[in-house]
Amino acid sequence: MTVYRCEDSLESIFTAIYLAYEEKRDHMDTYISLTDEPILFAEDVYVKPDQEKMNKVMRSLYRIFGEQDYMSLCMALASEDEGKAQAVYRTVVDGLFAGRRAGHLFDNLANDHVHRAFAIARVVGREIGHLREFVRFQELDNGVLYARIDPKNNVTAFLMPHFSDRLPQENFMIRDGQRGLFAIHPAGKQWYLFYAGEQETEPALRISEEEQEYQELFRYFCHKIAIEERRNLKLQQNMLPLRFRKNMTEFRDNK
Amino acid sequence: MEFLTGRQEMPLMEKLGILANSAKYDVACTSSGVDRKGNGVDMGNCVAAGICHSFSSDGRCISLLKILLTNECIYDCKYCLNRCSNDVPRATFTPDEICRLTVEFYRRNYIEGLFLSSGILNNPTFTMELIFRTIWLLRNQYRFNGYVHVKAIPGADPEVIRRTGFLVDRMSVNLELPTAEGLRTLAPNKHRKSILTPMRQIQNGITENRNELVLYRNAPTFVGGGQATQMIIGATPENDYQILNVAESLYQKFDLKRVFYSAFVNVTGDKQLPALPGGPPLLREHRLYQADWLLRFYGFKAEELLDEKRPFFNVMLDPKEDWAVRHLEQFPVEINKAPMERLLRIPGVGVKSARRIVAARRSANLTFADLKKIGVVLKRALYFITCSGRMMYPVKLEEDYIVRNLTEEQERIRFGSDGMSYRQMSLFDVGSFEQPVTAADRIQAAVGQL
Repeated sequence: MTVYRCEDSLESIFTAIYLAYEEKRDHMDTYISLTDEPILFAEDVYVKPDQEKMNKVMRSLYRIFGEQDYMSLCMALASEDEGKAQAVYRTVVDGLFAGRRAGHLFDNLANDHVHRAFAIARVVGREIGHLREFVRFQELDNGVLYARIDPKNNVTAFLMPHFSDRLPQENFMIRDGQRGLFAIHPAGKQWYLFYAGEQETEPALRISEEEQEYQELFRYFCHKIAIEERRNLKLQQNMLPLRFRKNMTEFRDNK
Repeated sequence: MEFLTGRQEMPLMEKLGILANSAKYDVACTSSGVDRKGNGVDMGNCVAAGICHSFSSDGRCISLLKILLTNECIYDCKYCLNRCSNDVPRATFTPDEICRLTVEFYRRNYIEGLFLSSGILNNPTFTMELIFRTIWLLRNQYRFNGYVHVKAIPGADPEVIRRTGFLVDRMSVNLELPTAEGLRTLAPNKHRKSILTPMRQIQNGITENRNELVLYRNAPTFVGGGQATQMIIGATPENDYQILNVAESLYQKFDLKRVFYSAFVNVTGDKQLPALPGGPPLLREHRLYQADWLLRFYGFKAEELLDEKRPFFNVMLDPKEDWAVRHLEQFPVEINKAPMERLLRIPGVGVKSARRIVAARRSANLTFADLKKIGVVLKRALYFITCSGRMMYPVKLEEDYIVRNLTEEQERIRFGSDGMSYRQMSLFDVGSFEQPVTAADRIQAAVGQL
């Protein structure tokens, strides 16, 4: 048995997949692990992340399985789940072995690994969907729009294409408070990610003059739009889980 | 002496409160149906699936800034909060205020776009023109590229409706009440014909525009997100069968994208309206939506679900379960062989899981464990399916038996959680058995006094 030891990054995991094929391993007897947990009777291979190998793997996955399934694989790898690398690896093996075409990578849900990767990607996909809805920007006094999120998975990079398409002429940034990660979009330019380190504390925000007014207006609107006779807090909580609310204008206490 | 000038100086906050409050009984708050990428300069794009940005305390989504242009109205519809004989505070937005609110809310990711409806100010055409002017300003001066949904005002000049159609993503005309009769009694100023005319006009506009777009790729889009309507449920004595038939013919004859149902809330207290002491008919509304989905995505027809003899939906079973237990001759369905149309008719199998089943069974024979992974709700489906010729448990294909099992679970949740139950009371249910035995009881029992 061979175990590829990776770090938790796209680069490292895709390099491991590349190596597994390059070194012609028996895929049923190969494991990609993100931890250092020892496995009995296994040969450890420490993977050195290699950008070129990653690009090759990504290009072929994109070409063979199409954009949607390729994105699902990337989403699965943005998860915090420890088994994600193995699930994605074996899904790719299954897909290549069965010769699946674009859009059909996750067809074989009866396969445990495919199902695992599918389920992980679905969880991450849902979180991305939720945050697309629930991100709230605040205008700072220099005109920059700032939003803080605290996602369970590393999804910031998946949010940026949506928002930069939507607000092309705005300077905005999204801060992942859990990971010390900033995604920055300068007006009219390409967005980029920026690691600020973990211990960065919440910067003191100076919001613009109008900001307070619009926050109040929106909060009032949310209050007024509800029909009292249909009150249903359970349904509200199903649709909008509590963990998102601390960063949302309409649920924050501004007193 | 004070004049009415105060109205112009009403603070924005107060106006927003009044006009959101008057708009809240409009159901449609969807932002779906249009996929439009940003153009790199203007603000805004649209996502086909729609995005809900928040949820209010009634659990309904807040996707669009849903407001009225004005809640002044010359009509006197008995069910409406804004009827002219109702004494409520009135307000009117200026087009600039609406645009500013929309754009500033949109920037902060509060909303997906604007939903603009209006009371009738002066006359329908005048009102429609105001709406047109507002949207024109929003699109051309504020360069807003997000989602816009407006109401077409029945009775307005067709030309204004047409011009508005080229600026918006979705248009809707409210049917208000399911039958012409109901409309006559509760909305004396509205007529069935004047409602259906703009609906037909928009439908024709969309078809024409589709042909145009095939020829000229850059032709402007007319109501790209399609047309919707809504009707009030429970204000008039129609039955579910009538309502569902109306919805079906709207989908077929008017090519609507959505029909919304709105459980009636008595806000005016008019004596011609039902009192509804148990609150709005929410379960009925829910069943209608379920049936609506069956019509649009599952290939059902209205007369399959209900008929003259059974004009109301079952309270305990959802419409699909209800249909299935009445058509047991078509079950069980073999998961590994049945065509898509038959899979879709199994309770507990939705469109997504049916698609996944069809894809997954190409590679392997599916078992019940696999169905669980795929997302089939086995709790409901197990009575109606076989995998490779076997049922999950030995169950009887018998109407009473299945109904009992399907509803038992729900009963237990609904009635069991607060200690109430429909089960027959047994001797041991009497509370006195649960009281702890005290020392005094013991002594009494020992000496034979109990």
